[in-house]
Amino acid sequence: MLRIIIIGLAFLLSFQTARTQTIEKKIGEIAPEIRLPSPNGDTIALSSLKTKVVLIDFWGSWCAPCVKEQPALSELYKKYKNSAFTCGNGFEIYGVSLDNKKKQWQSVIKKYKIDWVQVSDLLFWTSPVARDYGIQELPFNILIDGNGVIIAKNLHGDELKQAIKKLLK
Amino acid sequence: MKFFTKKLYLLITFTSLVFGFMYTSSRAEEPWTSKQLMAPSDLNKIIENPNAPKTYIYSIGYQSVIKNSIDIGPGKVAENQKKFRKHLGKLPKDANIVIYCGCCPFDRCPNVRPMFNILNEMGFKNHKLLNLPQNIKVDWIDKGFAVKK
Repeated sequence: MLRIIIIGLAFLLSFQTARTQTIEKKIGEIAPEIRLPSPNGDTIALSSLKTKVVLIDFWGSWCAPCVKEQPALSELYKKYKNSAFTCGNGFEIYGVSLDNKKKQWQSVIKKYKIDWVQVSDLLFWTSPVARDYGIQELPFNILIDGNGVIIAKNLHGDELKQAIKKLLK
Repeated sequence: MKFFTKKLYLLITFTSLVFGFMYTSSRAEEPWTSKQLMAPSDLNKIIENPNAPKTYIYSIGYQSVIKNSIDIGPGKVAENQKKFRKHLGKLPKDANIVIYCGCCPFDRCPNVRPMFNILNEMGFKNHKLLNLPQNIKVDWIDKGFAVKK
C-alpha cells in the first residue's frame, strides 16, 4: 500500500514539474542569448557585450524594489565600466525590463538617468526571456563573465558590490 | 527525561500560539477574508467550462494576462479606480467577480487593496481576489492555465 502511495506521489510530482516551464539557470552555465529592442527601437544582443563582465538586471518600472535599486547600479556602473577584470575587460549593465508600457519604461530611464543598455519586448511577465531565465520574482539579476558564463545570481547591495570588486585584476 | 519532554511540548505549544497570533493579526488587516481568496486552479476551471456561472474577471494590474479578463489597469491609479467603479455600476450586487494583479507578492502589491476595498464599499456579495502569492508568471502562466492569445 505504502509503495502505491509513494509511486503515486512521485508521478504527481513529476507531472507538476513537467508542466512548470521554469528553467532555472545555474552558475557555470552559458547565459542564454537575449536579443531585444532598446527604447529607440534598435535590437541589442547580449552577445554584443562579449569580453565584458555584464550584469543582466531584470526589472520593471512598476516594481518598486527594482526602481529603488537603480541609483546603486548607477554607482557601480560609473565606478567599474572601464575596469579590467580577471574574467573580462570593462563592465556593462544589460537592463531587461518586464514593462508593458513604453512610456512608463522610458520615464523611469529618464528620471534615474540610466545610461547603460536597456531593452524590453514590453510583454510583462509573458516575456519569453522571463521563461528562458526561469525568473521567479523581481528584482533579479545575473552576473556573467567575458565569455558569457554565469558567475553569480541575484546579488544585491553590498553582496553585489563585493562580488564585482573580487573580480578586479 | 520526562521533564525535558514536558518542556519541549510546552515550547512547541508556545511557539505555535505566537506564530498563530502573528499570522491572524497580519491577515486581519487585509480587506479580504481567507474565503475570498480564489485558487488559480478554480478560476481556470471556470474559464475552461462553458457551462460555468458567468464570472467577471478584472485585471487590476499592469497587463491582462488571463483569458477573458477585462483590463482596468493598475488599481493604485485614481483614474483606473474610477473606471472600475463605472464597470461595477452596471453589475448586480450578487455578480461573481474575480480581480487579479500578479505583478508581485501580495505584501508588495500596490494594486489589489484599493480595488478590493471598492468592491467591499459598493456592497458586492460574491467578489474574490485571485490568490497569486508570488506573481502571475509563477502562479498562473507557468502552470499552463488559460492566457490571452
